Amino acid sequence: MAKLLNVSLMIPRKIPQWLYNIRGQVPRSVALALGLIPIAVLLALWWGLTRGIPEERTLGPTILPSPAEVIASMSDLVHSPDPENRNLFDHIGISLRRVGLGFLLALAIVLPLGILIGAFGSMRALLSQVVTASGYIPIATLVPLTMSWFGLDEAQKVVFLAMAFGIFLLPMVAKAIDNVPDVYLRTAYTLGASRFHVITRVLVPVALPDIWHAMRLAFGVGWSYLVLAEVVVKSGGLGDLIDTARRRAMSGRVYLVIIIITIIAWLADLLWERLAGVLFPYRARQS
Amino acid sequence: MTAPAGDNKTPIVEFRGVTIRFGSFTAVSDLSFKVSVTPDQGEFVTIIGPSGCGKSTLLNAIAGFLKPTQGEALVMGEPVQGPGRDRGMIFQQYSSFPHLTVLQNVMFGLRLNRRKIGLDRSSMRSRAEELIAQVGLADHMHKYPGQLSGGQQQRTAIARSLALEPRILLMDEPFSALDEPTRLEMQELLVELWHRVHPTILCVTHSVAEAVYLGQRVWIFTQAPGQIAYDIMDCIPPSVGIPPLVAQERTEFKNAVYVVTEAFRRVSEGSTKDTAAESKPPEPRDST
Repeated sequence: MAKLLNVSLMIPRKIPQWLYNIRGQVPRSVALALGLIPIAVLLALWWGLTRGIPEERTLGPTILPSPAEVIASMSDLVHSPDPENRNLFDHIGISLRRVGLGFLLALAIVLPLGILIGAFGSMRALLSQVVTASGYIPIATLVPLTMSWFGLDEAQKVVFLAMAFGIFLLPMVAKAIDNVPDVYLRTAYTLGASRFHVITRVLVPVALPDIWHAMRLAFGVGWSYLVLAEVVVKSGGLGDLIDTARRRAMSGRVYLVIIIITIIAWLADLLWERLAGVLFPYRARQS
Repeated sequence: MTAPAGDNKTPIVEFRGVTIRFGSFTAVSDLSFKVSVTPDQGEFVTIIGPSGCGKSTLLNAIAGFLKPTQGEALVMGEPVQGPGRDRGMIFQQYSSFPHLTVLQNVMFGLRLNRRKIGLDRSSMRSRAEELIAQVGLADHMHKYPGQLSGGQQQRTAIARSLALEPRILLMDEPFSALDEPTRLEMQELLVELWHRVHPTILCVTHSVAEAVYLGQRVWIFTQAPGQIAYDIMDCIPPSVGIPPLVAQERTEFKNAVYVVTEAFRRVSEGSTKDTAAESKPPEPRDST
């Protein structure tokens, strides 16, 4: 029987099991190394396709600038400010401020509303259809809409981002509250809790790790709408930077800003995750 | 050994013709009973019966999560208006708040009712610590529920309920999710705690042995609509201080389990409809 199995598997003993086993456990160091492979492959491809003088390249510099050109546009952006005297870091600051304000505005509205919808059947009955339907609003159409409300002001960008965040976040907050098991509520009631206590001491704290996770996802999604918020000429920010560079055919700069936006979003995500570990230690220890 | 229930005693829980319906399903029908207390001493009632017979519904009606469709559910002479801290409840599902440590869980009810109880922070803490020690979790006080075993979670739940010194403790299959050795440990702990604190306990279980070991009084429910088919007092001599495994080896325990199982079987087969109407409990074999 054992012999039969060995034959039927036909896999030499030397190949580690993590390579072919379904849900195999890959060692940590190996996992790290594996994760670097696609990055290395992409960089090599990029370098290979854009090698040599512009005229002899496989891909022309307007389609894909070489790594050196992208890096060069970095020092250009840092050292030579635009006509409004803003360099790369000023633009990053402007964008972060808009995203931050939009996110806070969204939280101020969505958190209480989501908690009410999750907690009270009446609120859910009242609002769930609207909330579900609003999930289908194409976010891009909110740009002209907010412009007609706020003009080209800073407020337009913040409100647009707040709407993008909020539409994504609201159903998730309501769901997180809704998912708190009944047994906690009943326990609290038999311990003399009022309805107010049940919301503040049970529903919200028990749902908080899930709400936090929703905020983390929403932040990533909202951040990706930044470019849409900043298409207005000379308004500053990373979106403006991309748009201006595109119109001037500075493709090195376009790629650079895309990479910067991605890296900032990725770092923010890491930060959310780290903070979750600090704020909700009981979640981490559980596993 | 059977004693008439509730003579010269104040009923702490009383049902008068209670019927509870969910839509067209009648869970409990025209149920009347009294559970009484002598001063300082509550009864320990265990409830068994076929699944879906309305045992949990009964507990929920006492806890105040359900209102009777007809009839009256009275606690200490007053109709039940809603849940309150005078009636603690322990569920089959683990209910320790995941974001609080064992100590914080046990203090949860005390904190909510700080003004009504009139305890300052340090006396709340010492009461909680004392209870945690009593349920054997002194070494786990600062752990989160996610780090505890099932038995430890139920110990936390018991300590948390007892912190408010409820007159009534409702337990809905509290040990059903536990493995057998833990279950026996918990049974012993519960009997011991009951003898120390003496609340009135109504405990639903699906194990006849558990019902006989724990209960001073065992109720056997009929199929839904639920009725108390048998009300058996003092199946076995008080089992405090005797571990379940030892107690359950005794002849009188085995006899009692036999009698109760037979009664349960008759109830499940539906043949009790006649005998229940006569409300004639079987005479447990004499154990003295």
